[in-house]
Amino acid sequence: MSSEVEAGARTEAVAAGARASELDAPLPTKRMLVNLGPSHPAMHGTTRAVVELDGETIATCKLDIGFLHRGFEKSCENVTWTQCFPYTDRLNYVSSIMNNVGFALAVEKLCGLEVPERAQYLRVVTSEIHRICDHLTLVGAMGLELGAMTVFLYAVEGRDLLWDRLAELCGARLTSNYARVGGVTRDLPDGWTDATLRSLDRVGALRDEIDGLLSRNRIFTDRTRNVARVPRDEACELGFSGPCLRASGEPWDLRKAAPYLVYDRLDFDVPVGTNGDNLDRYLVRIEEMKQSDRIVRQCLAQMAPGEIAVADVRYVLPPKPQVYGTIEGVMAHFKLVMEGIQVPAGEAYGYTEAANGELGFYLVSDGGGRPYKLGLRAPGWPMLAALPRMLEGGLLADLVPTFDSINMIGGEVEQ
Amino acid sequence: MKRFVGMSVTLAALVGGLVLLAAGFYWVAAGLGWAFNWAGIHWLGTVPDGTVSAAAIHFGASVGNVLTLMLVLLMISGSLLTVAERKWSALMQNRIGANRITVGGNPLGGIPFLAADALKMLTKERIDPAAATRLLFELAPLLSFAPVFALFAIVPVGPPIDLGALVGDAAGAGRSIALQVASLDAGLLYLFAIASLQVYGTALAGWASNNKLALLGGVRASSQMISYEVSLGLSLVGSMMAYRTLRLDEMVVAQGHPVLGGFPAIGLLLQPVGFLVFFASAFAETKRAPFDLPEGESEIIGYFIEYSGMKFGMMFLAEFLEITVLSGVVTAVFLGGWNPLVVSTEWLRSAVSPLWFGAICAGAFIVKMIVIMWLQLTIRWLLPRFRYDQIQQLCWKLLLPVALANVFVTGAVILIDPSLQLLAWLGLGIIAGVVVLVLAAGRPAPARAGDHAHAGGH
Repeated sequence: MSSEVEAGARTEAVAAGARASELDAPLPTKRMLVNLGPSHPAMHGTTRAVVELDGETIATCKLDIGFLHRGFEKSCENVTWTQCFPYTDRLNYVSSIMNNVGFALAVEKLCGLEVPERAQYLRVVTSEIHRICDHLTLVGAMGLELGAMTVFLYAVEGRDLLWDRLAELCGARLTSNYARVGGVTRDLPDGWTDATLRSLDRVGALRDEIDGLLSRNRIFTDRTRNVARVPRDEACELGFSGPCLRASGEPWDLRKAAPYLVYDRLDFDVPVGTNGDNLDRYLVRIEEMKQSDRIVRQCLAQMAPGEIAVADVRYVLPPKPQVYGTIEGVMAHFKLVMEGIQVPAGEAYGYTEAANGELGFYLVSDGGGRPYKLGLRAPGWPMLAALPRMLEGGLLADLVPTFDSINMIGGEVEQ
Repeated sequence: MKRFVGMSVTLAALVGGLVLLAAGFYWVAAGLGWAFNWAGIHWLGTVPDGTVSAAAIHFGASVGNVLTLMLVLLMISGSLLTVAERKWSALMQNRIGANRITVGGNPLGGIPFLAADALKMLTKERIDPAAATRLLFELAPLLSFAPVFALFAIVPVGPPIDLGALVGDAAGAGRSIALQVASLDAGLLYLFAIASLQVYGTALAGWASNNKLALLGGVRASSQMISYEVSLGLSLVGSMMAYRTLRLDEMVVAQGHPVLGGFPAIGLLLQPVGFLVFFASAFAETKRAPFDLPEGESEIIGYFIEYSGMKFGMMFLAEFLEITVLSGVVTAVFLGGWNPLVVSTEWLRSAVSPLWFGAICAGAFIVKMIVIMWLQLTIRWLLPRFRYDQIQQLCWKLLLPVALANVFVTGAVILIDPSLQLLAWLGLGIIAGVVVLVLAAGRPAPARAGDHAHAGGH
């Protein structure tokens, strides 16, 4: 009798236990594997994201890159130092002059060259204009990813204005190929300064309009705040640099930390975020555009007429009258074009603060006219590597905006 | 100044054209009414010779209204909206917009694109996914297209006018025709019923396509639309109580009655909260930005990803037709319907002949509809998209409680003062409060001097 009662109690307890665990048990859902890209309307460049979804939540995310791989580092070993410049254009193609300048600085470090002051100013002016272009693209695309297409078109209008100015200067909108070892290719055309100042005014107005449309927009802030947060220590550990690092709260900017060119003479601020989320990455970029605007205006005011390249025929092509008129000129021209710049043997690491972060060129020269080895530190790479970590646990809808906020550029990441 | 005059003239011509169009609608309805009566007498023998059957007139007028209101007004404004959206978004984005198809060198405001788009959709190669559920796949575009038309049936575009006065025949006196396809007692309930059918088209399209992205879109659509139906229904309860009817035509008449010293008792005044909730919920039902999660072209491309050609075209067009229908319902319930507001309806009725009274009123209705359509386009091109969880929060945590509170407050106020005066004062107060809030929130951001050190200062 008693054993029966016990048995009954036990079954009841077992049943109760089963019921309790049923209450706790999450609904067994099947995970869905979704393939976004490489050909997806919202994917930047050509990238594939294999996402395992639990409902709308991203359980795991794998990135598959390499669709844009061109063998940049290896290609550079087969061409002269000067012929590398067009290749660098294709790294971050939204701000190509920054890559030109970065590469030129690295080679000049190896050669021990000091570039004339006007050339330094020109490099800063064009770089900062391209920084504005880059950030405008990102900010506009951020709106586009979130469904606010109008913002994107405002940003594109501003970017095209600046590209028009740069096209007047270097002849191309996108692949500028502007810097050279020892200086830059062209001086400012007549009336360029005024036109640029006018363009900057317009871009500033557009930027403020974008800022007004997004920064205080409840939908936008709700969608970006606390999304894909990267705390400061994590950002440092992951090797972030540039706006993404500063958005996490680390005030590190190579232009201040290790000034190059004429940045130590310019007055500008480094915006820093607190949260490291998508909203901060956006806000930092908006503020950086304002600072770049300040820098360009200061440079244009400070610049004095002068040489735009070193007058050394070992590095820079001699002026054409000399080539056509003197035997030394012809020889120098021939040697530079056929053999390339004879960079002293050794190795050097050149760094610049590009639009996305630290752009580094590690060069090894064996004293010949071509790079012996070239290594690139693409600024977007660490952020891209951290992307799965940022996305997992988030919602599918946040994937593309987050992808945008780190500004992954296929050209530089996949080299 | 020249530009201003030109625009004013264009606007006046537009309004005049709409009034003429409405007069034409009335003639079609009256003519078909007479034709059916005649057919009843001479062919069918159901109507005694020499008499006028109310049923025959009503039937004929309804057929006329189906032809004019649904096929002409709804279809044409829906397809013109595709062009309007391009042009208006272009204006907002400092672009020119569609202008590459010209007729004799004139782009005609992009209108030739209508024909080009239709031709493209119709002649495009048909690509069906092999593993799709064929029946449901084919059914989905129809199911998203048809309910929109059915919805427009209860929208009262023009007031009832006396047929006798219209055709100058004493026999027709007392028989009235109106620009409304069906005047149902169920009225708004019919609206809810048909509106909830719309979800099937979207959900089935996502389900039957055998595509993961489309499935996500379909699931998003069904959860979103089912959620928003709740607040959609509740938001109109206040209007039902205030006007004591479910019929839209009666609601419109009630909105012409003066309240607050001669000002008409339009829904916007009596039910500002109801208007806001209804507009937001109905906007969510149309699945357009900022509620375009089922489409989400930058994340999942949408529930219609596998559709090509005219099947896609129908879903695309259904979206624009929904805009038109939503505008019609908002106009009828909240903006005074065909009451031309700028002048007193009673004065107008006595001042002009019944036909022109009806035509002017219907013209006023269409103008109001156009304003609401324009508002929807503006919102669509201005705001970013919500996220899946935020859209549900907005519905269940904000719109639904507000709609419920609105029902109780409206009920209590009507109990206290059945003459609606108190409700109107309350509405006026709420409108003032909303305006103040918007102005306060929309003021320019405080100067962020020295803010560069903490850009993410939230």
